[in-house]
Amino acid sequence: MLFKLAFRNTLRQKRRTIFTMLTMFGGFTLASISIGWSDGSYSRIINMFTRNRLGHIQIHAQEYLDKPSLYKAIDDYEAIGQKVQSVPGVLTWTPRFLAAGLASLENKTSAVQIIGIDPVRENEATYFNKKIIKGRPFSPQPAHEAILGKGLAEVLHAQVGDEIIIVSQGADGSIANDLFRVVGIAASGNQMADRTAFYLHLSEAQQLFVLEGKIHEIAIIVNKLSHVEKITRKIKTILDNNALDVQPWQEFAKSFYQAMKADVEGMWVMLLVILLIVAVGVLNTVLMAILERTREYGVLKALGTRPQHIFWQIVLEINIIALASIVLGAGLSLIINHILSIHGIHLPTSFTYGGIEFKSLYSAITPRSLYIPAITVILSATVVSFFPALRAARISPAKAMRIH
Amino acid sequence: MVETKNSEPLIRVEGLRKTYTDDGVPVEALRGIDLIIYPGEFTAIVGPSGSGKTTFLNIISGLDRPTEGKIWIKGRLLEEMSDKELSDFRRDNLGFIFQAYNLIPVLTVEENVEYIMLLQRIPREERKRRVRQILKEVGLEGFEKRRPPQLSGGQQQRVAVARAMVSNPSLILADEPTANLDSETGGGLLDMMRELNKKTGMTFIFSTHDENVMRRARRLIILKDGRVAEDKQIG
Repeated sequence: MLFKLAFRNTLRQKRRTIFTMLTMFGGFTLASISIGWSDGSYSRIINMFTRNRLGHIQIHAQEYLDKPSLYKAIDDYEAIGQKVQSVPGVLTWTPRFLAAGLASLENKTSAVQIIGIDPVRENEATYFNKKIIKGRPFSPQPAHEAILGKGLAEVLHAQVGDEIIIVSQGADGSIANDLFRVVGIAASGNQMADRTAFYLHLSEAQQLFVLEGKIHEIAIIVNKLSHVEKITRKIKTILDNNALDVQPWQEFAKSFYQAMKADVEGMWVMLLVILLIVAVGVLNTVLMAILERTREYGVLKALGTRPQHIFWQIVLEINIIALASIVLGAGLSLIINHILSIHGIHLPTSFTYGGIEFKSLYSAITPRSLYIPAITVILSATVVSFFPALRAARISPAKAMRIH
Repeated sequence: MVETKNSEPLIRVEGLRKTYTDDGVPVEALRGIDLIIYPGEFTAIVGPSGSGKTTFLNIISGLDRPTEGKIWIKGRLLEEMSDKELSDFRRDNLGFIFQAYNLIPVLTVEENVEYIMLLQRIPREERKRRVRQILKEVGLEGFEKRRPPQLSGGQQQRVAVARAMVSNPSLILADEPTANLDSETGGGLLDMMRELNKKTGMTFIFSTHDENVMRRARRLIILKDGRVAEDKQIG
């Protein structure tokens, strides 16, 4: 009967109920689309940053990231890789050799980050071959080939087919120098990284620096971004090696993660604004309804209805309106988010985030794009109806029935 | 069934006073009332407007609190009860009939009548049986699915009577029950209530200044300026 009364009361002043529903519906839809948009955009940014480049999880020798050094290398990486691959959720892994050097082409010289990669594994993990905008990928076997980042190629005025001299210091103290032919130019999406990236075949990089069989980084790709932390823990357990640091992207790309987190927190401000809009709409409805029905509440109390029943009847009535608004809002926001997740919005001018350039952004349908606005609407409706409902529940029946 | 003074009093009122504040000015609605009402009475509280009839009914039913004085109903002192206890007490022992009917407009006739039994957690089958029976007794068979705005004033007051009686309360309080009805409809309604009073032994207390009610009452308590001016048994 409580529900019946609450439900039928929502139909008494249809115009007012519709106005309240529109407020809640608008608030819900706005919040849902915003969260879907935010989730879609950020997951794309994270993917560009991790899936397409850094990997979701990285393994280094202990403290390598704090103080990178040629000598903080990982031995027997194949065995480690096999153990990593056995962890459920791991899609693939790729080894990387990292060192600094100087690259010269004719009279141009530039500091470079030498990245030794296993072409097959790197392509499997980060779609490396898709990043090559000029030339071709590495040959299957080492052949003194190099692929340059787009920015570096511009600095050195290098073209496919040019020969570049690399100079650095080997692990044994000897001068490490060699000549490599440019076979391709790659654009990873990260302009900063592309200004210094000098890719070599893994085994040739190891030979150049006299560190055969050693690498500096293992990048791991997992099946779901949300599983990263869980899988990191499992890898740590399975490796059980204190000499290795196993870190999720949130740790090895800490500044990127924190900048993004700060941006995402802006969402809560938006939710607060929505909450206020809904609250004002609901407050109007509740106060008007209680004012109009004060006499009726007096009658219900006279008949023996307990104060808490009156209270819950009012709160329930508002929540029925809220639920109906949520259902309608969910329908609309699902349609809009679905369309935006397929077609996206192409930006008139591109923007860069964490060094990555974005020309279009896409929405996403995520559970939180529905449950966060739903909780926000329900919560604001309940909180706002709380005190007027309490007042109605406490009113003296005789006093209430004197009101016409 | 006739009231009996050999039984325990249903209501005992001692030194009842009620003072309201109207725009900061104290108004004495009741100025010291002492009364005893026995089970089965069919009593009318009469008096001019402002004599304190409604205030008296509100206070003895626990809808309002007195400024001074004590009220016992079925041996229980009302002032010792919390709001929640008073609600439960009203639910289980009292039935109300109001001048303005005060039916719940969003509920149908049968739902209005059924409402109190729902509060009392009476099983569904028993509720339905009692609703059918009481609507038949008040002559509203076939009106079960109608809503109050679809009924005449007399029919609405019959629903109110059915609602008041369906849970078999010890006491029915009726505040000017015929004030909004024509004399023929009002008279018919009172005859019906008198019949129910005789048949069930429920106690009825009316506040009224309707001759129709006074003629049918077995006891008249006349209030004047918040005091009992006269208390007489009839017939």
